[in-house]
Amino acid sequence: MAGLSSLVLLAVLARAGREMYGYEIAKALKAEGATGPLFKQGAIYPVLRSLDALGLLSSRVEVQAFGPPRRYYAITDEGRDALGDWTGAWKDMRNFVDEALQGGTPA
Amino acid sequence: MTAHEPPRTVAAYLAALKNALKGAPAAVIRDALSDAEEYLRNEIAQNPDKTEAEILAAAIETYGTPEEIAEEYRTMEETLAGPFPKAEETTENRPTGFFGVIADPRAYGALVYMLLSLATGVFYFSWTVTGLSLTLGMLILIIGIPIALLFVGSVRVLALIEGRIVEGLLGVRMPRRLPPANAGEETVWARVKAALADVRTWSSMFYLVLMLPLGIAYFTIAVTMLSLSVGATGGAIYELATGTDVIRMDGVPWWDHVFDTAPGLIGLAIAGVLLLFVTLHVAKVVGWIHGRIAEILLVRI
Repeated sequence: MAGLSSLVLLAVLARAGREMYGYEIAKALKAEGATGPLFKQGAIYPVLRSLDALGLLSSRVEVQAFGPPRRYYAITDEGRDALGDWTGAWKDMRNFVDEALQGGTPA
Repeated sequence: MTAHEPPRTVAAYLAALKNALKGAPAAVIRDALSDAEEYLRNEIAQNPDKTEAEILAAAIETYGTPEEIAEEYRTMEETLAGPFPKAEETTENRPTGFFGVIADPRAYGALVYMLLSLATGVFYFSWTVTGLSLTLGMLILIIGIPIALLFVGSVRVLALIEGRIVEGLLGVRMPRRLPPANAGEETVWARVKAALADVRTWSSMFYLVLMLPLGIAYFTIAVTMLSLSVGATGGAIYELATGTDVIRMDGVPWWDHVFDTAPGLIGLAIAGVLLLFVTLHVAKVVGWIHGRIAEILLVRI
């Protein structure tokens, strides 16, 4: 799950082309239909932090005059490279799984 | 509250999350708590028509229960544990004993804080007193109201900055944010009212004023002890090496004579070094006390 979350988060941030904070990302994912019991929004925060630690995202904290501080994440060049690699790997994997599923279905 | 009863407030959720993360590295707990709080507070701000309990009940569905979230952070920490440095050293590894203080980063942090506190203290005091007089003087005019608001805001920001300095140098956990607005407080006016009613606004103001005398005291103690220590050791070594009589005790002939002899000078050099350790200990104690003061006035209500 964490691997897929990483892929999705990198894609969201790459597409946004700007910095986003955790709650904003959670809402963006929700808007794209990422809901349901399997996808907890709380789970994206630790993934964001790990991507940050890995250097695929960069982050900065912005103190808010009211309310909690926001940690803004942006994708790094390294992150874009990883996104490219992982997207390729994901497509191969998806094709493989699709074929396996179709092959396994009795005609 | 039992562990299995679903939390109905943000504070209860964070407490449950902290509990569920017991044993995890401090930095992980801190990250998890600030992430959860960011989400929950934003959720509350986005839904002014719902109660905190309703939002929490929904958030447990969408965000995850404290136990689930704790598990996510633990898993993440384990995955990352390899090539990355452990976020925080545990306090148990810190050197102890009289001489151990030399390797204690906390002591140096506190010493830097003591030296810095004169400058920050003078600034905080001037800012607060100027702002307060200006505000009170202008309050009878209509322009006084925006000035008052700006001033209150500036006090909160200064308190926040001071909190960051205290946390960085003294290691006392301080808020990274201003006290959160309550649910539904979206309008500027409601926030201003909340800020004025908040005891922390006033205790922060008191703290900023208090920093002048405290800063003077800390700075004086630090500079006096450091210069005595460095002066004694340096002077004694210089006199031993060159024979120039730099250590003098005018009016106390006996001591003056002692410090003209090699054993006396060696003793003085050692005393100077010992004083450096004492200084670091004093800095640690002052740092600890000041951390408590800052905690009480800048954090607690």
